[in-house]
Amino acid sequence: MSYTIYTATGCTRCKIVKQFMRERGIDYVEQDMKAAGKEAFQKFYIANRKSIFRGPAGVEFPILTDGSTIRQGIGASIAFLRANHQLDGFFSVGILHKEWVDGIHISSGNPEYAVEFLEVLRYLKGNNMKLQLDTNGLNSQLLQQILDEGLADVVIMNVVGPRELYSGILGQDVDITEVEKTISLVSRFPEYKFQTMVVPVIRQEGDQPEVRYLTAQEIGETAKFIQEVTGSMKNPYYIKLWQPKEASDPRVKTMEPMTPAGLLSYRNPARVHQVFAEIEKAST
Amino acid sequence: MTKPVEELILPDDIHYYEEHTWVKTEDNLVKVGISDFAQDNLGSIIFIELPNVGESFSKGDEFGQAESAKTVSALYMPISGEIVAINSLLEETPQTVNESPYGGGWMIVVKPSNLDEVASLLTKNKYIDLIK
Repeated sequence: MSYTIYTATGCTRCKIVKQFMRERGIDYVEQDMKAAGKEAFQKFYIANRKSIFRGPAGVEFPILTDGSTIRQGIGASIAFLRANHQLDGFFSVGILHKEWVDGIHISSGNPEYAVEFLEVLRYLKGNNMKLQLDTNGLNSQLLQQILDEGLADVVIMNVVGPRELYSGILGQDVDITEVEKTISLVSRFPEYKFQTMVVPVIRQEGDQPEVRYLTAQEIGETAKFIQEVTGSMKNPYYIKLWQPKEASDPRVKTMEPMTPAGLLSYRNPARVHQVFAEIEKAST
Repeated sequence: MTKPVEELILPDDIHYYEEHTWVKTEDNLVKVGISDFAQDNLGSIIFIELPNVGESFSKGDEFGQAESAKTVSALYMPISGEIVAINSLLEETPQTVNESPYGGGWMIVVKPSNLDEVASLLTKNKYIDLIK
């Protein structure tokens, strides 16, 4: 199988992906969009524009394709080269730059492929990249291995809500002890933060489901959850605004969005249990 | 690295809109594109999204988008009117806007709802004052 990699001159991440392919004898054609590959990239972009992610700094490179699948960013590209679709879910494009790599989602991939996942992280770390990983509490065993090996520089945990709402918000049965284990592990990383997005929650199913946003009291309970597990009221904790465009469930897509000012009333209940609780201004 | 103002090509026989589109009157229609300043700031353009013929817009409305690898920039109507033609060649060769912003890189032709709006647009010198 032959790959095409679209790169930009001076892109360190592109060089690392090319090095990975050379080391493993993987054939590839490089199209540098700032040099001789400009026209080829333009054609590729026109044909695949809707599949190509643009971050705040524009199109993220490298972009790798085998002709049918497109992977963008260093983590997703190496994961695809190493394990084809097995690691889908663990990696997305990411928006951080220079030596930082984000878009690594511990809870979103299949833990059966933990060995391959960890190999990708080791390769990235071995090439002097700094890794920012995120989790929602699932796959705690994987997080333990990441902690033991020092594979993450920053871990962000999305504590989706208080214990009793966790399964409902994630839409699957969740073993809350696993979430507790993850909270405990996250607080042991050199740099970490907890966050909760104020999402709409389906309170009652049915033809006319009852849907309401997480309340300020529930955010307070979430902060308490973190306090109880970590034994600390001084964790970095952020309350985030949810946008209807992020919803995949049609029942919540039509929700009126909350305003940043509307979130202010959530801060004080959270600060009862996490004294550094803040409203996160920018979307990350 | 963008060009200094002295090196920008800014023809005298067209009008400029503050949102970096230009207008050239041809009979009772106006041709619209983006200025050399705009294309230079965008860098290599890789996609142009244009409206459909028959759509109407007011002055200042967004009528499309120009995308380069580094940014996406909205295209704004310099005058009010109906789209009567689009440069469909830009779908396949958007780089023409970089190569010839006032020639082959034109974007739309508009039937103005008020041709007098053209006179209220900027002259070359006023546009230079804006971008300096």
